[in-house]
Amino acid sequence: MTRDIFIHVDQDPPAAVRGGSLEGLTVSIQPNMSVRGWPTEAGSVALERYVALEDATVIGRLRNAGAVITGSTRMNELGFGVAGDTAHRAVSDGAVNVALVTDTMGEARLSAAAAALYGFKPSYGIVSRYGLIGLVPSMESFGIIAKTPTDIGAVLQAIAGHDDRDFSMSPATLDFNDPASRPATSATIGIVREALEMLDPDEARAFTAVVTRLEETGMTVRELSVEDYGLFPAVHTVVGSVEASSSAGKYDSVRYGHRAPASKNWNDMYLQSRAESFGLMVKTYLFQGAYFQFENYEAFENACRIRSRLVQQADALYKVADFILCPTLRNGMPPSDVCTVNDLYEFCASALPANVTGHPAMHIPGVLFGRETDPGFTLCAPHLGDVRLVSFASYLMNVAEGAK
Amino acid sequence: MKYEAVIGLEIHVQLNSDTKMFCDCPNRPGDEPNRNTCPICLWLPGAIPRFSEEVLEKATLAALALNCEIQEENAFDQKVYYYPDLPKGFQLSQFHKPLARHGWVDIVDEEGRPKKIGIHQVHMEEDVAKLVHETEGRTPISLVDFNRAGTPLVEIVSKPDIRTPYEAMEYIKALRSQIRYVGSAECSMEQGTMRVDANISIRPRGSDEFNTKVEVKNMNSVHNVGDAIAYEITRQAERVDAGEAIVLHTRLWDPDKRITTAMRGKFEGPCVPDPSVPRITISEEWLHDVRSRLPEMPSQKVERFITQFGLTRDEAVLMSAERDLSEYFEAVTAYAVSPRTAFHWIATQLLPALKERDETIAVTAVTPERLAALLAMLEGDKVNARSARDVLSKLFESNDAPEAIVEQFGYAQVSDTSELEGIVATVLADNPQAIDDFRSGNEKALGFLIGQAMRASRGKANPKLIRDILGQKLG
Repeated sequence: MTRDIFIHVDQDPPAAVRGGSLEGLTVSIQPNMSVRGWPTEAGSVALERYVALEDATVIGRLRNAGAVITGSTRMNELGFGVAGDTAHRAVSDGAVNVALVTDTMGEARLSAAAAALYGFKPSYGIVSRYGLIGLVPSMESFGIIAKTPTDIGAVLQAIAGHDDRDFSMSPATLDFNDPASRPATSATIGIVREALEMLDPDEARAFTAVVTRLEETGMTVRELSVEDYGLFPAVHTVVGSVEASSSAGKYDSVRYGHRAPASKNWNDMYLQSRAESFGLMVKTYLFQGAYFQFENYEAFENACRIRSRLVQQADALYKVADFILCPTLRNGMPPSDVCTVNDLYEFCASALPANVTGHPAMHIPGVLFGRETDPGFTLCAPHLGDVRLVSFASYLMNVAEGAK
Repeated sequence: MKYEAVIGLEIHVQLNSDTKMFCDCPNRPGDEPNRNTCPICLWLPGAIPRFSEEVLEKATLAALALNCEIQEENAFDQKVYYYPDLPKGFQLSQFHKPLARHGWVDIVDEEGRPKKIGIHQVHMEEDVAKLVHETEGRTPISLVDFNRAGTPLVEIVSKPDIRTPYEAMEYIKALRSQIRYVGSAECSMEQGTMRVDANISIRPRGSDEFNTKVEVKNMNSVHNVGDAIAYEITRQAERVDAGEAIVLHTRLWDPDKRITTAMRGKFEGPCVPDPSVPRITISEEWLHDVRSRLPEMPSQKVERFITQFGLTRDEAVLMSAERDLSEYFEAVTAYAVSPRTAFHWIATQLLPALKERDETIAVTAVTPERLAALLAMLEGDKVNARSARDVLSKLFESNDAPEAIVEQFGYAQVSDTSELEGIVATVLADNPQAIDDFRSGNEKALGFLIGQAMRASRGKANPKLIRDILGQKLG
């Protein structure tokens, strides 16, 4: 396993549990997911030399199901940004079967799209976040990248479910045996008018081709509307940066992590240590969050209000449609070019609405036209519609395979 | 004085739950430093707070004790500021959706008039860690003890209904008694389980405006609160008279110099809804269940003690001020001891004796059963009052039954008439002058003779019989 993909490799992994649903499956994680004894620096100097004291809930569940956690892939600082993420390469290079990533604004889907893989973000609150060193608690989730929807479904089944250590979880659980979740041969697929209006002509053409192809496979496609669709990035950036500013407040150099030497007093110690700890992207985001907290709280309150309205408007789509179709990657920008907060929001614009609403979403690679030419697309489902979404992705994959 | 003070109190009370607020660590801040810590209260990366239902119950009981309306929707906010005693960089508190609102506490003002002090809200928040500054040695260092981090507090915010230092002290005492009654907290200002901050402003008497307030902190007893408020009212009055404006700031009470001094301006951070502690919905059913565990409150108990036991109001107030004491009193009366005797002995003998020995009524060796047995002997003329006092002090040191102590030390009262007549005869023979004095109308001489007879019996004679016999002889 190459060092440019992995930042830590488990040299002596515990023996895999026999007979589990994931027996033999290899999984990579990111260094912001706690594994007892592993370096857990989350890509940040703020967590320099930090070693996790206990396993994240997800880690225990994966291992109990027979998976082997092989190591952690490189990630952007505190999961903010996409340029430094290598998780998708671990899967596409065949180093692991499945990669777990932190999905805060679409990372699982966007990374998958960059490597023609499936990328999935589950419904908010169905996978325990205990042990995930996150930045934006109300939007982030463990995301799953794999070569097939089947692997994603198997991993989801192993890690989902109530955890006493995470009270923010949804009281509802996923039913993996629900007959309604069996692969559908037909479905109503909604497309959001306001999302299409944001596309440039090339993107619009590619998207229309997908729609046509889906109709040819027997799906009903309906154009729907989310009046405030254009506000998703603004809501995400205001709420997200405020939560990030609070979450990163714990990096005070008192208990762990990097401490600047020879500070005069503790205010000085904070300023110096934090100045040396965070990179430019994270600093910008934290400053932005502090601005809304301290100087423009009203804007934050407005963002929270608009967020509930957006959730309602998005929920309403599923009264008509089974799934919502949208592009994953916007044309043009490669992930390595994303180096400012603005670039990042631009890059994630189509993917982040699912993080704002907490809905499940999956990137499906170019199965409809053959992977080389097709950037793929994203399907979203209503809250807790995860199992149906995974099944439907499997169905589409089978249709495509059959058509070959 | 031409000014009237407007006072509101913010009182932090440390709840006595078994665990901290968001983790299972013991709620024992005084233990060996950093013993009671875990990844959650140290806020290690990846931790998620887990709200304790026990804390919610204790806080709810406290709020109910203060006649508050419990709010159905509860949520936590992050009070953002940076300090080494705050591991998260914010304190979890309730700002937008507090536990309870609209309560009150009944007090009696200086003129003896009943008065209601309104409570604006009661909310829960976590305490911070404790800093220890080591200034000796070459490099001064600051150490952090996280035992207290995440221990549960309720903050009780009064309405600005208080007008005098006396009312403030009465409010604190009543509030403390009511919260102790429901068993949610110890409320000791001396031990730091209750902290009182006072917001004080003044205005011309008769005005109803609210002027700029000054916050005073760092009082470590109820009396200090009264003194600090009195000092601050005078200080503000002098400033206003001198034509100065009062500016919003915080002052510290100096208990040695007995003055307040201005504190460096404290940074007030924002309160942001916390995304990790989910909203708490308090169901009717749950609340009903908690409410059913409310004990009889002191004000109700006072009325019952007056009607049921014939105590005066002052006596009833004294016996019901603390729940342990009130239960002790009732337990003694349950053993066929008259309530008046029980009250008298508890108030004048037992409580001072406990104080002297630094014991509490809840754990003393003088159980209600043992005190009742002693008082029953007193009421049955088996011992006299003087001997009973001696027996009481022996009850503290021995586990023997009061009857056995009376037996062992020979405290039994002498009521044998022939024995007493012998003693009286001797006393009369030895004191002819006193007899003459008595016969010439000096009533005091009778007291002297009774005293001599009691002494001759080594304190064990039945004083009533002695008096009777003397009366007959001198008749």
